[in-house]
Amino acid sequence: MKRFVLGAVSALVLGASAAGAADYPSKEIQGIIQWGAGGSTDTVMRSVTPHAEEALGGSVVMQNMTGGVGAIALNHVAGQAADGYTLLMGAENPLLYKVMGLGDKDYGDFIPVSILARGTPILVANPDAPFDDYAGMMAYIKENPGELRVGATGPGGLPSVVTAMINTVEGEMDVISVPYDGDGPALTALQGGAIDVMPAVLGAAIEGIRAGNMKPLAIFDVAANDKLPEVPPVTDFNDAYNTYLPWGPFFGVFVAKGTPDDVVAKLADAYAKGSENPEFKELMDNRGFSMMGISGAEAEAFLSKWQQGTTWLLQDAGLTKASPEDFGIARP
Amino acid sequence: MDAILAFLTVFTQPELLLLVGLGTFAGVYVGAIPGLSVTMAVSILISFTFSWDVYPAISLMIGIYMGGVYGGSRTAILLNIPGAPSAIATALDGYPLAKRGEAGTAIGVTTVMSFIGGFIGIGVLAVAAPFVSDFALKFQPRDYMLLAVLGILLVGSLSEGSLVKGIFAGALGIAIGAVGRDPLTFTERFTFDIPLMQGGISFIAVMIGMFGVSEALMQLHHVDKDAVRQKISRIVPSLATVKKHLPLSIQTSSIGVVIGALPGTGGDIAALMAYDHAKRVTKNPERDFGDGAMEGLVAPETANNAAVGGAFIPMMTLGIPGDAVTAIMIGALFIHGLNPGPMLMVDQPDMFWFIVGALVMANVFMLIFGLTGIKLFTKIVEMPRAVLIPLIMLLSIVGAYAVNNSLTDVYWMLGFGFFGYFMRHYGYPLGPVILGVILSRLLDDNWRRAIISEREDLGRFFGGLFSSPLSTVLFIAVILIFVSQTPIWTRAKARLFPARKEVKQ
Repeated sequence: MKRFVLGAVSALVLGASAAGAADYPSKEIQGIIQWGAGGSTDTVMRSVTPHAEEALGGSVVMQNMTGGVGAIALNHVAGQAADGYTLLMGAENPLLYKVMGLGDKDYGDFIPVSILARGTPILVANPDAPFDDYAGMMAYIKENPGELRVGATGPGGLPSVVTAMINTVEGEMDVISVPYDGDGPALTALQGGAIDVMPAVLGAAIEGIRAGNMKPLAIFDVAANDKLPEVPPVTDFNDAYNTYLPWGPFFGVFVAKGTPDDVVAKLADAYAKGSENPEFKELMDNRGFSMMGISGAEAEAFLSKWQQGTTWLLQDAGLTKASPEDFGIARP
Repeated sequence: MDAILAFLTVFTQPELLLLVGLGTFAGVYVGAIPGLSVTMAVSILISFTFSWDVYPAISLMIGIYMGGVYGGSRTAILLNIPGAPSAIATALDGYPLAKRGEAGTAIGVTTVMSFIGGFIGIGVLAVAAPFVSDFALKFQPRDYMLLAVLGILLVGSLSEGSLVKGIFAGALGIAIGAVGRDPLTFTERFTFDIPLMQGGISFIAVMIGMFGVSEALMQLHHVDKDAVRQKISRIVPSLATVKKHLPLSIQTSSIGVVIGALPGTGGDIAALMAYDHAKRVTKNPERDFGDGAMEGLVAPETANNAAVGGAFIPMMTLGIPGDAVTAIMIGALFIHGLNPGPMLMVDQPDMFWFIVGALVMANVFMLIFGLTGIKLFTKIVEMPRAVLIPLIMLLSIVGAYAVNNSLTDVYWMLGFGFFGYFMRHYGYPLGPVILGVILSRLLDDNWRRAIISEREDLGRFFGGLFSSPLSTVLFIAVILIFVSQTPIWTRAKARLFPARKEVKQ
């Protein structure tokens, strides 16, 4: 026990002495990835970080820490010293933790180092589905209430937000919502015919669309996407979507609040340079993500706007556990 | 022609050959240590090989994958601690052999059979990938559910002695698997408002505790007894032995390929199902199952290595991972600028053939590394128990910690270790617990998906069962296997077929 205390104290002293930015980074940086290996967040982080390492002149050791919709990783990083040696590499989900009853911490306890990129949602269907676009799907639902099977990934996931948006704009849809572990397994089920329609992120569906294994119904954006120029944006079918769009999941790198400003600046600079790398840009473009590369006040503003819009949308759809009001999230 | 050239890439470039070999060698050891998993090794390699070209990176990963799946059998045979979930069934007959001093023979047979299984898997990948992936896509949630029920019926073959105790153990496993936030609705189950329980109980921690720590505690009873001397006269099995088991290994390899190709099931379930199959079809084993039957080694080891080839089938043809490792490899291909998906075979057929070539090479290396150094390995079991027991404890703790870098998992592991010790003492089999944990989510998630898809209407659900030939076949198999384990069946059989000794199955 004595040795443990000694070790802890010396670690603290070392940590404190390393906190200055002049020699940052003086040791390995831990990068905690919120999602499992092979997923979108994992792929994005593992491809941008080596370029950021170059700019930073230090090494970032990445590790996947899954569970609790990413809350386990978030709480872990929040519990570490705010010295810039532990980075949280996450997606949009934490902004919904509070209203979903998944935890009492969110990105409000962090400083955004960089919001790297944003994804675009798209509505895809099994190629044998008896409709070819968004309008056809809505007509089919009206004629066959309670028959269409729509994939979902649990409350707070992209499909639940898109479905809430449709319900708000078009009025309640009578469909069967079938839950899956993630958009990968759900898109597999779509190709096998277990579900008929799936709201997914463009990058996950694009190869399947190219091969004709699924058909696109509408892009959930205000304009058509360069990757699939022939697919109409959903605003072409109903103007009311303009209130909620553009909306999309995003990826970002964060450090705990209290991290020295100069350390944050150094990290932000490194990730800004890293995300400029042409190979990384090409990867993001291939997967249908739009580059953002924002940090500082701009990133904070983006986060709070995203949180306001999405939490209230879910609240109005009756999907939340607690009202956004309880956490001081104002109605947009 | 291009296909042949791409296939031969690995063989003609010494650098790639070296990397596959290196990967396989490392894989055997990563696989042998409980807790160090192939999934983990491959995800670390993604960052490590980031700046490499795509061929060398994939070569190294494939080597680790093939070697790792095989390596799990090592500790299963020598210490009764499966190095990976896919080696659980291997321990059932492998460890009794080591206790008789025949660890060398057991490892020899395991290696050759893994090699054969691996080749069958790769063969199916090369020849029939599009066909198998079409078949795998046809599996609906209700089919996965029926598959899980079929898996649960394995409790019968995994519980030596009392079936009732086996059922209890299996049910316990299913309950353990349900702990934590339900992944479909995020509702808490069995968490008792303890934050620690929210993430669920790590399955690997349960496995290491149940097998590793409880084994170490059991060994404490015999600290003063001398370790069994191992005979290492014959390591490479004779051609006659291989020939004898060839029909069984082809059957179990087919099970491995199909289960491996299904997204959502992998080598662990394949190996257990193959073990059960072997138990059913083997009429007169030289030794009883659970007592060191060769068939009990052949079946799981051919199946889990065949599942490797199987897992690549949906990955290469559709961009859908067949298991956790191929999921990471898809990420690796993305990072290296490729677009894995249904168009990969059209846009870059050379990648497909290159992977087939690398798998073949990894399989050959696995045979070479598997058959050398056995002498050294068998020394492990000959160690005095005063050294061996602390070593097992150390390995178990390191392994449990390494899964998620979390101390909580170590506590779970120790807790289940003590619990497993008492279970063994009172004659409760441990195999069904692990089976229950593995199948818990497969069963639960897919039952719910199936019944939700039918608007929660049981009538429509059963209607659906008979509308698809696949579901009907699976349903009938479930009923047949269930009935065949009840006394009614034995009685009916005796009356109906007095002359015939065994009906098929």
